[in-house]
Formats: sequence, C-alpha cells, structure tokens
Amino acid sequence: MVIRGIAAILTAMMGSLRIRDVLRPAEVTFTWQGRPFRAPVGESLATALLEAGIRCLGEGPGAPRAAFCMAGSCQQCLVRVDGRPAQACLVPVRAGMAAEPA
Amino acid sequence: MSVACDIAVLGAGPAGMAAATEAARRGARVVLLDEYPAPGGQAHRAAPPGFRMPADSDRRAGDRLRHALALSGAELRLGHRVWDLAGGPPAQAGISRPFRIASLGPQGPAALEARALILCPGAQERIIPFPGWTLPGVIGLAAASILLKAQGVLPGRRAVVAGVGPLLLAVAARVMKAGAELAAVVDLAGPAEWQAALPALASRPDLLMRGLAWRARLASRSVAVLRAHRVLAAEGGRVLERVRVAPLSGGAPEEFDCDALCIGHGLVPATEAARCLGAAHCYAPRDGGWVPVLDKDGRSSVPLLYVAGDAGSLRGAAAAPASGRLAALAALADLGRLPPRRHARARLGPALAHAHAVRPGAAMAAMMALRPALLDGIAPETVVCRCEGVTRRDIEQAIGAGAREMNQLGRFTRCGTGPCQGRLCGEAAAELLAGRVGGRERAGFLTTHPPLRPVPIEMLLGEPAPADTAPVLAPA
Repeated sequence: MVIRGIAAILTAMMGSLRIRDVLRPAEVTFTWQGRPFRAPVGESLATALLEAGIRCLGEGPGAPRAAFCMAGSCQQCLVRVDGRPAQACLVPVRAGMAAEPA
Repeated sequence: MSVACDIAVLGAGPAGMAAATEAARRGARVVLLDEYPAPGGQAHRAAPPGFRMPADSDRRAGDRLRHALALSGAELRLGHRVWDLAGGPPAQAGISRPFRIASLGPQGPAALEARALILCPGAQERIIPFPGWTLPGVIGLAAASILLKAQGVLPGRRAVVAGVGPLLLAVAARVMKAGAELAAVVDLAGPAEWQAALPALASRPDLLMRGLAWRARLASRSVAVLRAHRVLAAEGGRVLERVRVAPLSGGAPEEFDCDALCIGHGLVPATEAARCLGAAHCYAPRDGGWVPVLDKDGRSSVPLLYVAGDAGSLRGAAAAPASGRLAALAALADLGRLPPRRHARARLGPALAHAHAVRPGAAMAAMMALRPALLDGIAPETVVCRCEGVTRRDIEQAIGAGAREMNQLGRFTRCGTGPCQGRLCGEAAAELLAGRVGGRERAGFLTTHPPLRPVPIEMLLGEPAPADTAPVLAPA
C-alpha cells in the first residue's frame, strides 16, 4: 500500500502528458473553477484539463462525469465555458477562458 | 438566409472529402459541412492550428485528400453542427424538392438547400458497459486515438489498452512510442481470429507490415498481450486505479494497476442522419449493425440521398474515398449533370479501387462485429445509459414490465433519451432487449428527430425581432 502510494507520487512528479516531439503554439492561461492553468492556445479544453490532472468534470446522474469519446458525441464532458454550456472536447483553449462544471 | 447548391456533403472525413472533391471538380456547386474546424474526419483528423505533429502515413493520406479538396472549388462550412435535416424528393419521383439542412456555425444559425445530399458521417465507437466503466480514466479507443494523434497528449502515464479491432494495436503502439507505460494489451480476438483475417489483410501489404511491426514492438518491450481476454471491471475510488482482466473461456482474473484504460468493442455506422430522412435500413452485423440499404454506388431508398464511407458499411478509411467518389458520380448522373455513358466510364476507376480496398476492411468489420457474450459482463447495478443513470437492472425491469422495442424502453426508463441520444448506450440497450424479444430487428432503434445533436436554444432563436412578438389583443 505504501509502495503503491509512493509510486503514485513519483508518477505524478514525472510531469506532462503532452508528447514531447509535438510543436505547439504559445501557452495561455485559462481557469477551471477560478483556478488558473496554462495550456497551448488551441488545445482542446478536455485535453488541457486532463493535463492539469482534472479528470472529473461534473456529477452525472449515476456517476462522476469525465471526457469519454473526445469526439463530440457522448456529451459526458459537458461543462460551462464563459457562462455557456459547451463540450470540453470541442472547445479550443483561449486566453482568459473561464470554465467550470455545467 | 438559405443558400442553394447542387450537392451538399455531410461530414469531411475521407469519404466526404473525396465526394465533395469529385463533384466540385466536375462543375457542380458543392457545399461540404463538418462539425470540426478543419477537414479530415477521425481517421485523418487535423491537429489544431499552430500544432505540428510528426508525420505518419495516416496524416499524409489525409493531407492528400485535403489538398485535392482545397483545389476542387467545393465550399467548406466548417465548425458547423448540423442539427436538422428535412425535405428531399418525395418517394414518388417527379416532384423536385430540395433537402433542407439546418446547422449552427461560428456565425450562428445557417440554412442550406441542396438538390442532392451525400451523407458521410462515419462511425462511432461501441463500448459495451462493464462495472467501473464510468470511472474517470476510462476512455474509448477512438478517444485515445484522437488524444494521441490530433492533440499530442497521452491518455495517462500507465495504460491498459483493451477491446478489439485495428484501433487496439494502433493505440497500443502509439501509447508506447509516445513514452507512456503500457501495462497490458487485452484483445477480445484470439489467435485463430487473427489467422482467419490474414489472407484479407495480405491484400494491403502496407497495413499488414505496419501491424506486424506494432506486434514486434510490443513483444520487444515484453508487454503482456493477452489474447481472447476481456476486461471484467475497472476499479478505483474517485478515479481509475486498476483493471481486472480474465480469459474469455473463464479462468483466474489478473489485475493491472493503471491510470488509463482505453477500451473499444468495435465501430458502429452513424445512421441518425439517414434515419432522420426516412431511408430504409437493415440489420447487418458484419457491416457494423444497422446500415442504410444502398446500391453499389451508395444510392439510398430516398431519391437523391446517398451514403458513403463507414456510415454505409464499415470498410475503413482506405475504402472510404472510393466510396465517396462513387456516390458523387451517382449524384451527378441522377441530377442529369453526367450523361449515362460518361458516368459508366467515370465510375470504373473508383469502383475498382473500392473493390480492392474493401477486403481488409471487411475482415476488420467482421472482427469488430458485436460479441453478444460481452452482455454477460454488465452487472445489474452497472449504469448502461450514462446521461440518465439507467442501470441494467432498470432495463431488465422495463422489459419485464412489457417494453418490447427501443422507443418503448426509452419511455419506460429514459434510456437513450438524454443528450447523447443513445449514441453511447444504444448498442448495449438494444442488445439486452434483442435477447428478450427475438433479435435486433424486433428491438428496432430509437426514432431520430431534430435536434440531431444538442444545440443551445438561444443560439437558434437569436435576438427576438419586434415582428416576432404577437400583438396583445384588447379584451372584447
């Protein structure tokens, strides 16, 4: 149990999920529930939240909701972006974007 | 404001790009619509602007199609979510009535009228539920493929890749190449199934070699590749922590710690647009499930309505462009823009290309056909319909109470009536029902109606004009 806990901390410290040999545009700041995060402009909000370690995007009727199909079809990643409902997998990150659970 | 065109093409994947290119090159006024901001579809999905991904054969094939499309003169309506389809010629020919396509684009609502309509919406992933499949960290194989190819991001730091079909090996190889740890590859198909598919795959030596290279890479890193195995459950507290796996034949389960499970049980043709317009469908498991009834050029039962690519029959991205070109040529001929003899000559090339490309696609479709045994893995308390929180037990009770068909099941339980409109749960729910009523034909499918996809109502309404407000009548 202790070993598993240490392993989890180590993997968390390993850093980014972003694949190294990809060239990306400049990073901008967006917020999730008021907390600031950085992501390359144009990356999908679902991806940026995954990278930020935020996996749970809301509470569904039966279970917590998380991005699932990444293709705009399953509606599990529905959040609120600048006050409007939006699918996180279809929304590109912009500077100053404010996102929160739907 | 409604714009008129000769041919509208829905979906800018390989089939749609090729269909629009073929028709526009031959002088037709063509409009191609897609929900994404760039053409490509899922197989050749473009990275966001400003991102540069390492080149691979999929990307190069996509770039060739995109390049031809850009030169063709077809008008692109990208970032448009099509939410309503109506009109079209009545079943008795002779009366000309355009298709009406309503979409929501970057500038707000848009309308389009088209004399002919080619549907190329592709396929969506089938995932048969299992305990824990709703845990954050569990995603589709297609979703993982999008993350890796189009976003350049790993689904997790230690992944289990599971399910069946060509995406399984592709995702596993990409996860490993990108530097994540691969805990296990869990393949529903056994060695005998792969051997049976080999002769068909051999007609595409490039794909076969790529598959063998992936296999070799997995073997060299001593990744556990479990054939004829299934995922029993995903487990964890608030997020995924481990996956339990067992042989299909029964036997002792194994556990793998992981923070991502990428799982998919095959692809299903996206038929909602064709169903919305009343095209006849049939249930053909080896084509992916419910598919529109089409002739060899993609003509549906509705005049001037065509379906091309995986939406017509799962034959893969390699076969899709030829299928799109055949549909475009048929539409031009049916609109009187291509004389019969020239049409007959023009269709020979794509017909030959299609015949060559469908063999490996058909072998993969057969492997991805729904496996009813997976239904046993859905526990009574497992949520089947995520949007409405409907469990297997709820569904079984509704069937016991007399639900005999998918729309009835929807009314009894709300299964399939949420925002995903049954795209995620429809296959599992229909299969559970089919087992009790005597087949998928009897279980039927959820009736499609607009909006085809959720759209915010204030975006459709816009600002109310004074003329829209009814005058208040003075009391008599």
